[in-house]
Amino acid sequence: MTLRRGTTARQETQSSPEPSSYNELTAALESADPPVRRYAARELLRFPGAGTILLNRFKREPENAVREAILTSLIRLDEPSVTKELAECLRSEDTTLRNEAIEALRELASSGDRTDSISPVVASLLVDSDPDVRIFAVNILESMRHPEVERWLIEVIERDPHVNVCATAVDLLCEVGTQAACEPLLRLKERFPSEAYVQFAADLALRRIREI
Amino acid sequence: MSSPKSQSAADPVISREDFLKFKEFFYRRTGIHFEDSKRYFVDKRLAERIGATCTGNFHGYFTMLRFQASGEELQLLTNAMTVNETYFLREEYQFRCLVDSILPEIVRLRSISRPIRIWCIPSSSGEEPYSIAMYLLENWPGINEWDVEIISSDIDTNILRRASQARYSARSVQNVPAPWLRKYFRSEGDEYQLLNEVRQTVEFTRVNLAEPEDTVKYREFDIIFCRNLLIYFDDLSRKTAVDTFYEALNPGGFVCLGHSESMSRISSLFRVRKFPEAIVYQKTKESK
Amino acid sequence: MKRVLVVDDAGTVRLYHRGILESAGYQVEEAWNGVEALEKALATPFDLLIVDINMPKLDGFGFLRELRSQPVEQPPAIMISTEAGEQDEKGAYSAGANVYLLKPILASQLLVHARLILGEVRG
Repeated sequence: MTLRRGTTARQETQSSPEPSSYNELTAALESADPPVRRYAARELLRFPGAGTILLNRFKREPENAVREAILTSLIRLDEPSVTKELAECLRSEDTTLRNEAIEALRELASSGDRTDSISPVVASLLVDSDPDVRIFAVNILESMRHPEVERWLIEVIERDPHVNVCATAVDLLCEVGTQAACEPLLRLKERFPSEAYVQFAADLALRRIREI
Repeated sequence: MSSPKSQSAADPVISREDFLKFKEFFYRRTGIHFEDSKRYFVDKRLAERIGATCTGNFHGYFTMLRFQASGEELQLLTNAMTVNETYFLREEYQFRCLVDSILPEIVRLRSISRPIRIWCIPSSSGEEPYSIAMYLLENWPGINEWDVEIISSDIDTNILRRASQARYSARSVQNVPAPWLRKYFRSEGDEYQLLNEVRQTVEFTRVNLAEPEDTVKYREFDIIFCRNLLIYFDDLSRKTAVDTFYEALNPGGFVCLGHSESMSRISSLFRVRKFPEAIVYQKTKESK
Repeated sequence: MKRVLVVDDAGTVRLYHRGILESAGYQVEEAWNGVEALEKALATPFDLLIVDINMPKLDGFGFLRELRSQPVEQPPAIMISTEAGEQDEKGAYSAGANVYLLKPILASQLLVHARLILGEVRG
């Protein structure tokens, strides 16, 4: 019978001790070996201030698993300067980098205690000159656990000139909209009378709100 | 104030638009999809939770659910919305996948000297890890050449104790083929005692998957079964758990989630692999 | 009945596309992001994919590239984006899309492309 009771622990096969100091870890972050970089990224979350180095590595890291570990550490470290720089990644031409940055910002936004630190970043993104950045800002709003979010969305549909930005905001209003959004939604419909998707989404939001 | 379990006409009204709004939200957060036919079921569960949270009506409840930072109510609601039953050979198609597709791939790439290690979490009362053991003994020819280690973990020490005792009701063994029942169990009254031959093949350990320190030593696994656990976790714990699985697996190792579960709301760390029997997740072979 | 998979993280967008496609006689399934889309596309074959680019966990490019690398029957894909950049269009075709469209999509636009790709229109 070759099914035998196993043991959870495995023998450590490495001969050299694992890096643990800040300097050792930042050096390990540049290792040619992805698992070593991943290990370093996870361990660096123990060092407040490591955010900048982690973010710099994130921008040029080719391995998915390492990037994910870096972002998890960045989210836990929650450094304001890093949040701002992550927001800059939204302009990147690299789709993967951009979407991962959005996700990291969404995770930062979804924690109630961080509302204060992420709000100003999101506020400035909502009025960015690039409509795609404004769309990403609305995506981040979705993760904010704050009923204030509705007020921001209403501002977007009242003021934003770009149809896709407004459309993204309306999608979210289908879920979080209240009576306060009704008049703005009707005005939006008047602003984009020939945009079928806007009419569809606004009607849906109105239907849902009127049920309240 | 009506009691939470009230079933009278005092149940809050949930309109069609409310249902659609809730359905979309719940699907986005959990991946669980409700057909219109489940309307009654969903309405009932929502009514229970509205009562339990004293939010008064659907809108009040939904606002709370939507904006709660801890995500606790969503977890409680998910628990209420899903059926959590354990029995032998549950979701058997995954064991078939193990034998017909997963193990052949694993043995192709490795030397005989190292055992094949399987981690089964949660163990619950043991039906799953013991099912795997029996299935391998009965259906995998490779069991005669390869050493297999099965480790099974749970957060609850009481249930771990029950798993070690390996004593089961008729309901729990209802899907066990009669020859297996005769071979591996002893009938005792209206219960079935699993015999030592299988009982001693599984090592049970206590683990809190949301605590990374608990799992530091869990390494060099080839296959992880984690079925119907992660849906009950909050987002951060889910991510921690999947991260743990990644570290725990050998390159090319596999994760099997529950039938209606998905990595899609957790992580893209794993590669989606389709086998004839099932869809599973694989850690890339190139990493160490 | 031809089966279409609509992949987009916005529920309203999926609903909108569903409406258009169902009234044209297609059977529609949905996926919220690239990982879910992979699971569904690998589980059962689809005749057409409608794929948004920007999604959490795994985006449209990642999904298509991964699907195209797997030994399964490959459905055609219409890729949809809000980006007007040249990079995205190139990216779409190199990831394996057949057509690249910009939001907002008109119903007629979507259906014309769907019918052409599915060979339902005589050229």
